[in-house]
Amino acid sequence: MKKIKFYISALLLVAVSAMSLSSCSEDKLGDTIFPDVDESLDPTSYTYKLDKFLKENYLEKYNLTFLYKMPDVSTNMNYNLVPATYENSIDLAVLCKHLWFDVYDKVAGPDFLKTYGPRIILLIGSPAYNPTSGTEIVGLAEGGIKISLFKVNAMRISDFYMMNEYYFKTMHHEFAHILHQTKTYPNEFNTISIGHYDSNNWQDRSEGQVASLGFVTTYASSEFREDFAETIANYIVQTDDQWNRILDLASRGWTSGNEDDVTSEFFCYYYYPNNDATKDPVYVYEFNVWTEVDEDGTIHKYWRNNTDPDGNRIVVYDVEDKDGIDGREAILHKVDIAREWLKTSWNVDLDELRNEVQTRQATYNINELRKLVTEIQ
Amino acid sequence: MKKYFNIFLLSLVALTSMTMMSCKNETDEIFDDDAVTRLENAKDNFINILTDKGGKWQMQYYSNSNEPGYVYVMTFRTDGSVTISGKNIWIGKVEGESLDVPTYGSQTSLWDVITDNGPVLSFNSFNKYFHVFADPEDIPSMSDEDTDETGYGHEGDYEFDLMKYSGDTLYITGKKYGIDMIMTRLDAGIDDHVYMDEVVAMADSFFNAKIPQVYMNLPNGTRWIIKNGATSILKMFREGDDEISTSVNHNVIITHDGLSFMNPLTVDGYTVQNFIRQADGSLLCRDDNETTITADDLNMVFTTPTFKWKFDLTQMGGVLADQLELLRTDLNNYGKRKLSAIDISYNTDLGCYLLDFSCVYQKKTLHASFYFNAELVGENQIKFNFTGEGNDVSVVYAEKCPAFNSFIAAMNGVTYTLTTSSLLAPVDMKVTDSSNGANYFQCWL
Repeated sequence: MKKIKFYISALLLVAVSAMSLSSCSEDKLGDTIFPDVDESLDPTSYTYKLDKFLKENYLEKYNLTFLYKMPDVSTNMNYNLVPATYENSIDLAVLCKHLWFDVYDKVAGPDFLKTYGPRIILLIGSPAYNPTSGTEIVGLAEGGIKISLFKVNAMRISDFYMMNEYYFKTMHHEFAHILHQTKTYPNEFNTISIGHYDSNNWQDRSEGQVASLGFVTTYASSEFREDFAETIANYIVQTDDQWNRILDLASRGWTSGNEDDVTSEFFCYYYYPNNDATKDPVYVYEFNVWTEVDEDGTIHKYWRNNTDPDGNRIVVYDVEDKDGIDGREAILHKVDIAREWLKTSWNVDLDELRNEVQTRQATYNINELRKLVTEIQ
Repeated sequence: MKKYFNIFLLSLVALTSMTMMSCKNETDEIFDDDAVTRLENAKDNFINILTDKGGKWQMQYYSNSNEPGYVYVMTFRTDGSVTISGKNIWIGKVEGESLDVPTYGSQTSLWDVITDNGPVLSFNSFNKYFHVFADPEDIPSMSDEDTDETGYGHEGDYEFDLMKYSGDTLYITGKKYGIDMIMTRLDAGIDDHVYMDEVVAMADSFFNAKIPQVYMNLPNGTRWIIKNGATSILKMFREGDDEISTSVNHNVIITHDGLSFMNPLTVDGYTVQNFIRQADGSLLCRDDNETTITADDLNMVFTTPTFKWKFDLTQMGGVLADQLELLRTDLNNYGKRKLSAIDISYNTDLGCYLLDFSCVYQKKTLHASFYFNAELVGENQIKFNFTGEGNDVSVVYAEKCPAFNSFIAAMNGVTYTLTTSSLLAPVDMKVTDSSNGANYFQCWL
C-alpha cells in the first residue's frame, strides 16, 4: 500500500514539476503605452515667454526642469503648501540664472552645473511650516537632484535682506548640499563644533549665542551638514558688513538670565544702575556702544545716549566669554575647510565665487533681468 | 486499490485542466484603449469641457466642514489662464479690510488638467483670491481665542479630482482633503462682478441677524429650528428638543439661486441638500420638492415682543394716508409741531403694544403712545384693538389734535393681512386692510 501511495505521489510531483517548468513562457515587452511627449511650446500659451526662457536657459543648457506650476505630488503632502505666483516665478527664474547659474558658469566653467547642478528646481509659494516645532522650511535639496525654493509669494524684490535670507542664500545652501552629497567634505569640519549642535532646539537659540559657539546662524547649529551648507552659503551671500557682524557676535561673551533655559534672551553687555557696582548688573543686547579712552588710558564704553532708561549716565562692560570657544576662530576655520574642499574637490575658488555673487547682488536691476523673459518673441 | 486509482485519475484530470488554463500570456481586452491613452483622452476631454462655450463656470467651494462655502466664478481659457472672481470676507482680508465685509476680487492665474490617478483640475499658480483658503498662514480674526493656524490655514484644496460631467455640471473632489464640490457652467456673457453682487445680495435676503431663528419644515409636519443663519454655519435642532444637547452645526453655501448644505442632510428619513429661493423669499428643497425653509408665520414675527416696527411714512395708503395728512395738519396748528416717526412695539411692563407717535416741538421730541392689544388671526393676519388708554402725552395730544383719535379709530379693530418681500427674512412688512386693499402701511424692523 505504501508503494502505491508513493507512486501516486511521485506521479503528482512529476506532473506538477513538469507544469511548473513548461507552463510559463517568458513575456515579451510590447511597444510602450506612453504617448510621445510633444516638447514644442505653444506660442499662444499664456506662459509662452517664461516657458521659452526656461527651456532655453535651463532645460537645453543644464537638462534642468524649472517647475513653477506647482503639482502638489512633487511636494511633501504632510505640509499645506500653495503654488507660486506667476509674476514672482518670472523674477526668481531670472534671478536664479543671474545670481547662481551664471556665477558658476563664470567661476567654475560652463560644464560645472551641467554635471553637478540639480535637475529640478521647484518653486513653492508658501513656507513649509512645521506647527509642532514652530519652524519653517525655506529650501530643500533632495538626493542631489531637486531643489525646492519655498516662500516665493512673500518675495519683496526691493528688500535686499529678505531676498538674501530667503532666496539667494537658500540657492547656495541647497547647492552646497548637492555638492557634499556627491563628494563628501573633510570630517574635520564635523569635529570643530562637536557637542554644541542641538537638532531639537536650534530654533530657540539666539544668533549671538550660536555665533559665540562657532556657528554662522542658528540653523547652522542644528547639525553638521546644515552647518556646512550654512557656512558656505552665508560666506557667499552676506555682505562684508553682514559677515563682519557675524564675526563680531562670535567674538563676544554672552550670558542669559537663565542658563538652563535655551530660549531665554542672551546679552553681551551689562551696566550697574547709577554706576554702583554693588548693585545687580542690568544686561543689555545693543551694539550702538562706543568707546572713549581718557587721559590715563582707561577705557570707557558708553551705551546709547550715555544713559540708562531712567536718564542716568552709565558705563557698559563686556560680558565675559565663558563658553571656552573662540567663536570667530571656529567660523573662520570652517570657512577655510570649505574653501579648501571646494578648491580640491571641485576646483572652485570660494572667494572668487563670493566676489562674483557680491558684485552681482549689489548691481542687478530686476527690470533689466525681467526683459530676458518679457522681450522674448 | 480502486480508491487510489480513482485519486490518480482525478489528479490527472485536475492537472490536465490546469495546464490547459494556466498559461495564457495576455488577458482579454476589457477597454478599447490602454490605461495611458484613456487617461490622456479623459484629460483632453475635460480640458475641452472646461473651455467650451466661453469657459465660464461657477464653483461652489468649501475649504473645510467648519466654514461656509463660497461661490467663485471662473473663466477657463485655452491659453492656460483662468480668471477667478469672488466676493467674500476673505478676499476682504487679503485686501486689508479689517471688518468682515464681503469684498469683490478678480485675478487671472494659471490652470491645467493633469493626470494622476485620474484627471485632476489644478490651479497651479497662486491666485490670491482663491488660494487664500489653501495658504498655510495664520487666519486673522478666525476665533476669539486667537488660535494660531500657522501651518494649516483653512486647509482648502486647489487641486480637484474630476469625477463626472453631467448636464453642464462638473462633480469634483478636493484631492487632499476630499470634500465633494460642484461646478456649473455659466453663460459666457455673464459679468463676474454683477454675478457675485447678486450672490451676496441673495445671502442677505436669506438670513437676517434680526430674525433670530427660522425653520426647516419637513413634509411630515415636523420643524427643525435653524439659528445663526447669517453666519452660514447653521445650528439646527428639532423643535421641542433641547438646543444645547441636540443641536448640530451644518455649513452651507449661498449660491446665485439658493442655498446648499455641504453634505446631504438626513433628518426624519428625509434627505435634503439643495434649496432654491422662491419668489416669496422662502427656500424650497430641490431634492424632494417639498421641504421648505421659512421664518415664523408673519403675524408671529410681527408680534415678537422684542421687535420695534417703524412705519414708512411715505408708504401709506387709503384712509391711513388721509389720517396721516390730517395729523400733520393738526400738529402744525398745535404750535408748529412736526411728526417725525410712528412705530409700534411691545411694552413688557404694560403688557400691551404701543403705537408711538414721535412729535418734535422746539427741538425736543415727545412721544404720544396709544395702547393696543394684538390679536392673531390665521397665519398672516393680525387685528389691533385699542385699549382706550395711552400715556400722558397721548391724552394731551389727542385733545389738541383730533386727528390722533381718527387715526387710532382707523386702525382699531381692523383685520390686517401681512405680506413681506422675504418669508425667510421678513424684516419689512406691508400691512394691508384685509377688507380693503387700498388701506395699508408699510414698516420695517
